[in-house]
Amino acid sequence: MSRNDSLETMNSVSPFWNGLFNILFTIYSIVCIVPLLLVVGVSFSDEKSIITGGYNFIPKVFSLEAYKWVFKSGDTIVRAYGLSIMITIVGTLCSVAIISMFSYVISRKDFKYRNVFSFIVFFTMILNGGMVPWYMVYTNLLHINNTLLAYIVPSLVNAWYVMIMRTFFQTNVPDSIIESARIDGAGEFRTFLKIVMPLAKPGLATIALFQTLGFWNEWYLPLMLIEDSKLYNLQYILYKTLNAIQYLSQASNVSGGTAEILAKLPSETARMAMCVLAIGPIILAYPFFQKYFIKGLTVGAVKG
Amino acid sequence: MYKAKKLISLFLVIGMAITMVAGCGSKDNAATSSVAATSSVVATSSVAAETTKALDPVELKWYVIGNGQPKDMDAVLGKVNEWLQPKINATLKLNVFTWGDDYEQKMGAKVASGEEYDIAFTANWALNYLQNAPKGAFVDLTPMLDQYAPKTKALLGDKVIKGASINGKLFAIPTNKEMAHNWGFLINKDMAAKYAIDVTTIKKFDDIEPYLKIIKEKEGANGVEPFQSVVGESAYRLLDFEKMVDDNVPGAIYGDGRDTKVVNDFDTPEAKALFTTLNKWSKAGYIRKDADTITDFSSNRKAGKVFSAMASLKPGKDAEESVSSGINWVQVDLTPARATTREMTGSMQAISTSSKNPERALMFLELFNTEPELCNIINYGIEGTHYKKINDTTIEITQAGKDGYAPGTQWMFGNQFNTYLYSTEDPKKWEKFKTYNDSSVASPIIGFTFDTESVKTKVAALTGIKKQFMPGLETGKADPAVALPKFTEKLKAAGLDEVIVEMQKQVDTFLATK
Repeated sequence: MSRNDSLETMNSVSPFWNGLFNILFTIYSIVCIVPLLLVVGVSFSDEKSIITGGYNFIPKVFSLEAYKWVFKSGDTIVRAYGLSIMITIVGTLCSVAIISMFSYVISRKDFKYRNVFSFIVFFTMILNGGMVPWYMVYTNLLHINNTLLAYIVPSLVNAWYVMIMRTFFQTNVPDSIIESARIDGAGEFRTFLKIVMPLAKPGLATIALFQTLGFWNEWYLPLMLIEDSKLYNLQYILYKTLNAIQYLSQASNVSGGTAEILAKLPSETARMAMCVLAIGPIILAYPFFQKYFIKGLTVGAVKG
Repeated sequence: MYKAKKLISLFLVIGMAITMVAGCGSKDNAATSSVAATSSVVATSSVAAETTKALDPVELKWYVIGNGQPKDMDAVLGKVNEWLQPKINATLKLNVFTWGDDYEQKMGAKVASGEEYDIAFTANWALNYLQNAPKGAFVDLTPMLDQYAPKTKALLGDKVIKGASINGKLFAIPTNKEMAHNWGFLINKDMAAKYAIDVTTIKKFDDIEPYLKIIKEKEGANGVEPFQSVVGESAYRLLDFEKMVDDNVPGAIYGDGRDTKVVNDFDTPEAKALFTTLNKWSKAGYIRKDADTITDFSSNRKAGKVFSAMASLKPGKDAEESVSSGINWVQVDLTPARATTREMTGSMQAISTSSKNPERALMFLELFNTEPELCNIINYGIEGTHYKKINDTTIEITQAGKDGYAPGTQWMFGNQFNTYLYSTEDPKKWEKFKTYNDSSVASPIIGFTFDTESVKTKVAALTGIKKQFMPGLETGKADPAVALPKFTEKLKAAGLDEVIVEMQKQVDTFLATK
């Protein structure tokens, strides 16, 4: 009992620093959260009151008009929402599978060409072909432009995550465990799936979270590779709407009446409503992955 | 064994490298062969053009900028193709991308990679015509016009074709619309009426000053800007200099065409006088104090918080603005109508060098410019669904039209003079446009474009300095007596004089060859 107490006091920071950190992080959290709350507030406001009175945290005139517009604007946004969710799930599963398999193989010391394969991956981190060859590979060679594959294939493997996972396998999965599995008669796939993967959960959770965020927030790939408006995802619709509004409200050389065109684009509140909807599901992903992060930290700590 | 594997992997890598290089190479071949094909077709197909039966069916891929793909595009295209197929055996696939980055990125990649498409919207502000055409992105239409688009050629006339050409070569078909501009005030009509302001008394820029005073006194407390002059969208444009490069780079000739001498327009007596007036107005509170940090001009106009602003005008501009912003405007013309390269290249359709059927694309553009029916379907959709006809020339957009198909960008498509008018518009709009176009004076250097290549870095440096000083000057925040000499001095240090000399040289060469 007393030993535990002394350990706790030994590991804890002094009350002064503790207080200071708490205050600092509270301020930081507020800075992060307040703009989000403002977005939510604006999304529930009446459009007219925004134009005349500016933004408010608590809507001056409460209105659900923006959300009504979003869902009334037909299937466009609802479809984009569904696509975003689907792409995120399928993309994350596929990319985690590929990244983990690849990095496991190059983490094994008994694999002869692991340096060659590591180099091939590592190489892409330093040099890349540039935008036009990149574009030509997907359009002229693979012909995946204008299909849903365009969202997934380019982000399937990320050199940086491969490196993270390789190091993770090397440090957290001892060779002896793999050896003992082999002695017990497990084949390579069984060793990988039943022994190595469960041990690598914290690492997998980390890259899965990164990839989930990456797939969810993807707007560049559709910008380059998707033409069919039925295949737009939510983030891209948001991106191009905001971009167009910014462009038009500053462009004095667009020939026609820009005001007329602007009037056809979603209103201020509708854009905020889209933002709120876009934050929605991804916020749920955090608690799910967080569990593994904490576990990952403690696993490393006990062994010392 | 190890050696063998190493060799195999080496071969694989080399193989990949070769296919990549070969891929690029074949692209070039395709480009040249399509050009060759074009010229041979031009030579031989005078017969083929007459008999449409001889034409193979093709699909024309057409990209334009706009509000994104409308919901009912497929239905409208169905209607278009029903009409188009019997005529030139082509079907159309129109894809509308979004303003700004969306269009630039997508089209930039297509142009750079040589992806196949047929027609693209281009202008001096989108998929930059002046940069992409000389690079070889678009087909030179000059030799094809007489054969495939004689009516369009006659319709546009010499002035426009010359203005839209680069070194005598026409790379895109301009939309037939208002082909001139002038500058003047847009004034909030209701506010003017409220304080009994007679806008017809305003003949020149300074005439508005007493009214600004009235508005400042009566409406200032309500947050109304008596005169709006924000960064970019400022009163400076009233001076109507014909810029050599763009608004950001010093160097222009006088817009009234008095001579062809290139000057630093920011340091002319006219500019100085204007800056002084603006500074006076800013001090008096007629221009908002934070104007030099603001670029968004439209939201305050929409909110009814702007009494007057400077705008690029054309006949009926006030009515157009009133409909779109929900605020009643009246326009006061200050400068005469002028036709410059800017208008000629403000909205055009180009044919891609990657197109397999450039002559068919041009045949389509010819029909687009000359057949009212085709032009109206693309502009307004399907009659009865997307719009109702009120009489032969006037229509009203239905709710289905607003939701499903309303590009609202008639100035982009074909021949504006062939399109219907909204019931809210002046029924004489097109006649007024014609008189306006005819009355406009062409710039002495129409068709000239400055090649920045030799002074590229200096131009970039000058742009940076302009962005540092101009916001203060054009919004009246900075005192020109102090800021202007500093501004000029900095520009000179960055190589202004050499750039001006280069501009003058190119202008003189252009004039000599004309």
